[in-house]
Amino acid sequence: MAAADVVNLGEFEHMVLLAIMRLGEDAYAVPVRDEIARCTGRDVSRGSIYITLDRLETKGYLKSRLADPTPERGGRAKRYYALRPRAVDALKESRRALVALWSGLEAVLAQP
Amino acid sequence: MNDHFPVVLRLFARCIPGDLREPIAGDLHEEYLAIRERQGAGRATAWLWWQSLRLAVTFRWERAAHRRPLPPIGDELRGLGSMWDGLRQDIVFGVRMLRRQPGFTAVAIFALALGIGATTAIFSVVDAVLWRPLPFPHADRVMSLAEQRPRESRWFGVVAPADYFDWQRDSRSFSAMAAYAAQSPSGAYNLTGEGEPERVRPLQATSQFLDVIGVRPALGRGFRAEEETVGRHRVVLLSDALWRRRFAADPSAVGRTVAFDGRTFEIIGVLPAQFWWPSHPDIVVPLALDDHDRTLRAAHFLEVIGRLGDGVPADRAREELRIIGRRLAQEFPAENANHLPNLRPLRDALVGDVRTMLLVMLGAVAFVLLIACANVATLLLARAAARQKEVSIRTAVGAARGRLVQQMLTESLVIAAAGGATGVLLAAWSLSALRALLPASFAGLPGLDHLAIDLRVLTVSVTVSLATGLLFGVLPALAASDERLAVSLNEESRGGTGSVRAKRLRAGLVVAELALSLVLLAGASLLVVSFNNLLNVSPGFQPAQLVITRVTLPGSRYGEHPRVVAFFDAVFEQLAVAPAIQRVGATTSLPLDDSDSRLELTIEHRTADSPFPVRVHPRVVSTGYFQTMGIPLLRGREFTGHDVDTSGRVAIINEASARRYWPNEDPIGQRISIGETAEWREIIGVVGDTRDEGLDADADPAAYLPQHQRFESLGTGFERAVTLVIRTTGDAASVTPLIRTAVSNVDRQVPIGLVRRMDEFIGDSIAPRRLNFVLVSAFALVALALTSAGLYGVMAYLVTQRTREIGVRMALGASRTQVLALVLREAGSMTLLGIAIGVAGALGLTRFMATMLFGVTASDPAVYAGVSLLLAVVALLAVAVPSSRATRIDPLVALRDS
Repeated sequence: MAAADVVNLGEFEHMVLLAIMRLGEDAYAVPVRDEIARCTGRDVSRGSIYITLDRLETKGYLKSRLADPTPERGGRAKRYYALRPRAVDALKESRRALVALWSGLEAVLAQP
Repeated sequence: MNDHFPVVLRLFARCIPGDLREPIAGDLHEEYLAIRERQGAGRATAWLWWQSLRLAVTFRWERAAHRRPLPPIGDELRGLGSMWDGLRQDIVFGVRMLRRQPGFTAVAIFALALGIGATTAIFSVVDAVLWRPLPFPHADRVMSLAEQRPRESRWFGVVAPADYFDWQRDSRSFSAMAAYAAQSPSGAYNLTGEGEPERVRPLQATSQFLDVIGVRPALGRGFRAEEETVGRHRVVLLSDALWRRRFAADPSAVGRTVAFDGRTFEIIGVLPAQFWWPSHPDIVVPLALDDHDRTLRAAHFLEVIGRLGDGVPADRAREELRIIGRRLAQEFPAENANHLPNLRPLRDALVGDVRTMLLVMLGAVAFVLLIACANVATLLLARAAARQKEVSIRTAVGAARGRLVQQMLTESLVIAAAGGATGVLLAAWSLSALRALLPASFAGLPGLDHLAIDLRVLTVSVTVSLATGLLFGVLPALAASDERLAVSLNEESRGGTGSVRAKRLRAGLVVAELALSLVLLAGASLLVVSFNNLLNVSPGFQPAQLVITRVTLPGSRYGEHPRVVAFFDAVFEQLAVAPAIQRVGATTSLPLDDSDSRLELTIEHRTADSPFPVRVHPRVVSTGYFQTMGIPLLRGREFTGHDVDTSGRVAIINEASARRYWPNEDPIGQRISIGETAEWREIIGVVGDTRDEGLDADADPAAYLPQHQRFESLGTGFERAVTLVIRTTGDAASVTPLIRTAVSNVDRQVPIGLVRRMDEFIGDSIAPRRLNFVLVSAFALVALALTSAGLYGVMAYLVTQRTREIGVRMALGASRTQVLALVLREAGSMTLLGIAIGVAGALGLTRFMATMLFGVTASDPAVYAGVSLLLAVVALLAVAVPSSRATRIDPLVALRDS
């Protein structure tokens, strides 16, 4: 199951999941985008964040909840996201796979 | 401040799933506030709208994705980016696809480059001449005033001095009005003094000329009103070029004097460098008319321009002028009966007939572009059919139709952009060639000095390129992504030829190409026939081995008639002994020179029986002129050296005069008087007509007067400006030094103009027509080539597609002839339909060319039959190869391959 998930996770989906993991309780679209930008230096479009979050939820990697409306958002609610266990498994599996693939390649990388 | 959000939400409502709308709007709100804090409300609002729009587009784009099975990850990620990422991907993909088919790509780009390049080049000319403002401030208020003389079929004729002065005095609609000499009576001036003598082109204009066109001298001052009077008129404005050439741009030149034709003029100013006038004058001098000339109403030689007063519409000015004109017609019925002032924008007057010609060229070139589009569209359609499997598979795995159309349109646009870029290069390169092709008579057209591919032309080219990309791309893209084509997976394996719709579309495009080509061919043929007719018109004299040159004697030393006569007699004497020269003659106005000086003709013992005055063109010619020119003497005798002032005054008339004024009697021996001098002249001969206003115009009545007899009705400059005509025994170039030596032996101070061959001169008179037919024919040939290539492509494709069907037919016993008939029937019906539509279209469109035709009507049956036949033959050749291939299909191979 987990191995199949790794195949289905795109690079960008991967990054979104990791960003949510890093943010913990505070994961909604705006900080997710900021976190990705901060860590990778990539400025991704808002549209792709929303669509990816939605898609990951549909696929069963994420769950979401609506928080209470706040005045600085014009009285509109935030949608917070959290990882489901499946996502954690997939991330672990993908890390394992990547680390395994990387192991022993340090010498190659060190070459100019 | 929150006012934006309800609108944003409404925008989202159509694009973003319901459960995401509120949180996304909330996120935007939060970031909006942060940005407003840092960068201000304006930036924040712009940011908000941009982001909302991007989100809406992204979601809208992806909505299909929610409904369909998940595509492979690569595709998904591509779609996830913004629309721009998608577009970039499409472009990269399109370029890759095009590079994989270099043959197709090269043909498509080449066809488009031809179309867009030709369109760009012709557009730049048309734009410069017809649409850009003239280089004067508020140029649209500068009007050309003219005299409408219906009897002579002149709607915008030149103006008589007395009429001009009356208009100027009585009209209130113009802030300034000026006249200039239509044809300066003495041609060019001889500039003498420091340095080589030089011929300079003068413009003789009245004092308000610069006010009318809104030009101020760069140095010095303009004319004063009193400088219009004889005696005070020796002042001159120099062109910037002449000032730099003769005076090394020295500002102190203003105030100095120069000698033109031996008379001293004071330099009062220098015109600005950007000063432009159609005749490209080197100097502007006051047009000073003496008291006699000011009262002339029958001699028309003034061009009049006026600047409309503030807020005065052109129609009101015309009405006012016409009221004045009607009054003048009543007061001076002899000269002005039925004459009315007329008015049109100066540009229209400068451009004249060239407008039709340029628009016809632009139309022709647009047709070439359309044909190129249709051509590329048929290529794309054929390719789309070949890609049906790819499309079917992509549709089957969930690609949305919109996405497919976008991909294919992007490919078309890539082709269009490449074609457009190549086309603009072609245009830039061809502009210099085009400039060289432009006839000398185009020198007076506005804008041609600065012909270039500038931003304005480029904008049009880019727009045209993109529009063509859409035009030829949209049909194939829609056809290719047609869901009904999905069944083509099965059809293809049965060896069909694609859906009926795609087939019809292809046939329709070929028919359209054929029809467009026929229109172009018909137009071009009409022009070619006209031009050929024109070449076959006899000018009324023998142009071979004639050379001409213009000599203008300065009025200061040749003010008296005997001195003029003595000068030319001495020159003739010198030239007569040269073995390279057969005969020499001289005339004040050459055939084809379109001069408008007509004088009243009075016939002895005859009272005017019509309300219109009887007029002739007066021409002063030397003894031997008719023989030199080869103008036949029909009756009576020619002038001899004995027709001098002391003998009886004589005249020779042309056939047109004899026909019009002595229809049933013998003119020989009758007495006439020309102009206002009441001297009777006896008609001693009738000579053949010459074409005086162009090969396409019938001869007007003319009267020839001997050079040895004084003739003063046209003012004193008339007989001093003379064209020498010389019949050589051999090469024209060899006599040039002879003429120079002869003239300079007689008077070193008299320079001669360019020595030209008469046939060149005739060639110049028809050069605009030649340019027209050369270009339109070139376009028609390109159209023919593109069309036959298109037809070939479609037929070759159809034959390939039907290999199996033909194989089956042959296996079942169809003969080669039957197979050939099958293929030809298809090609033949397309060709016939195309020709039929084309003929109908051409009959409708060539009507606009009527004024450009000569000796042929716009619906000439022979021309239409000829081009239809030509197109049919070319079509037959185009399908010959594919159809012969069809007959050689081996049924066994055909069936095995499928």
